[in-house]
Amino acid sequence: MDIKAYIESGIIESYVLELASPEEAAELEQLMQQHAQVRQAVDAFSASLEQNALNSAVAPPPALKETVMAALMQQANNQPTAAAPFPLRELKSNTLPGAAVVRSAFWKYMAAASIVLLIGSAALNVYFYNGYKTAYTKYQALLSTQNTMQASMDVYKAKMDDMDESIKVMNDPATRMIKMPGVAGHENSLAQVYWNQSSKNVYLSTGNLPATPAGKQYQLWAIVNGQPVNAGMVDDCAGLCKMLTIPNAQAFAITLEKAGGNAAPSMDQMFVLGKV
Amino acid sequence: MPEIKKYSESELVMLLKQHEQHAFGYLYDSYSGALFSVILSIITDRELAGDVLQEVFVKIWRQIDSYDDSKGRLFTWMLNIARNASIDMVRSKGFQNSRQNRELTENVYDSSGTTQTNTDKIGLRKIVQTLKEEYKVLIELSYFQGFTQEEISRMLNIPLGTVKTRLRNALVQLRELVKT
Repeated sequence: MDIKAYIESGIIESYVLELASPEEAAELEQLMQQHAQVRQAVDAFSASLEQNALNSAVAPPPALKETVMAALMQQANNQPTAAAPFPLRELKSNTLPGAAVVRSAFWKYMAAASIVLLIGSAALNVYFYNGYKTAYTKYQALLSTQNTMQASMDVYKAKMDDMDESIKVMNDPATRMIKMPGVAGHENSLAQVYWNQSSKNVYLSTGNLPATPAGKQYQLWAIVNGQPVNAGMVDDCAGLCKMLTIPNAQAFAITLEKAGGNAAPSMDQMFVLGKV
Repeated sequence: MPEIKKYSESELVMLLKQHEQHAFGYLYDSYSGALFSVILSIITDRELAGDVLQEVFVKIWRQIDSYDDSKGRLFTWMLNIARNASIDMVRSKGFQNSRQNRELTENVYDSSGTTQTNTDKIGLRKIVQTLKEEYKVLIELSYFQGFTQEEISRMLNIPLGTVKTRLRNALVQLRELVKT
């Protein structure tokens, strides 16, 4: 082999600049061992490259040295064995399963949280349903109480209306009051007739009459020119009971008759009598 | 470098292989500027170049055991680490994105292209610029951009044998230029 031609072929520079193929590099390394000129040529080109680089050196930022030295110290501390030359890469590949563990732990927590939420939600459903049932029962009770109150209010209102009407009748200046004291045998009984002289309406106040036996009813009579005229049946009314209209009468009387009344009074059953 | 050399190269290599901290301090003081210029001949961005320099020293620390002085000088070994690290950085996705952004900005605001020619003014790359065009492009693509000769053959549509021969001739010329 012509070593001089070999050295001049450019293979030396290819090798030093790492542009040679592995085969070329292996061949050169072998020749370097055998021929001092080859080694010298490699060293000479390397030295001039080194000198060139040193001549054109650009100082890195001054603070960088500290960073670099710190990075090297970190390497020194992290260096586990010489057998593991790339701990950084191993660390990198370890971060992936590590992330997977974190992620699966995350989903475990999520699943646990979901179950807790579900149980909590079910418990709240039971709690709220019980509350709803209690409230519904109370509402029904209130509703029936309210209905009862409304009903009794209607009753009172009707009575009030009657009383109101009675007071109006009694206060009317055209109304005459005729007292009907109890006749012999019924001294304790008492009733009044209010007779409006302009409208001729007759109202009865059953102030103090004994309770009627079953099947019996009081009947008011107007005595017109000595003849009894039916003035109406006495019902259970709160204030004044409106009776039949009587245009003319000299007296009023009440007898106890069969329910529904009679055409003529049973004179032995007279309770009260009052002259106009 | 103006510093007085404290170690012979074989002493330094021995201390580096023992991961002596002060040996790395000395290595940094002696060679960080030269290695930084090698990185700057490939990477324009000084901040990124600083990152790469740090990476280079970490690699030296980790791989010093694999350095074999029978195969070449220490600096040559470090220079190739610096060149490979720089090319790796240029080829990384993050660098491509940042360069695209920068080029976009430059196209809009700065047409002088000063940052783009920076790498051509440093060290070996500056010398390469003085070679004739057909040599310059081969060293540019192979040494500074890291393409294989097969790739260059396809890119330039030149037979592989021609690429090989022409590159060898270019390197012989380069050697003469570097010597002076």
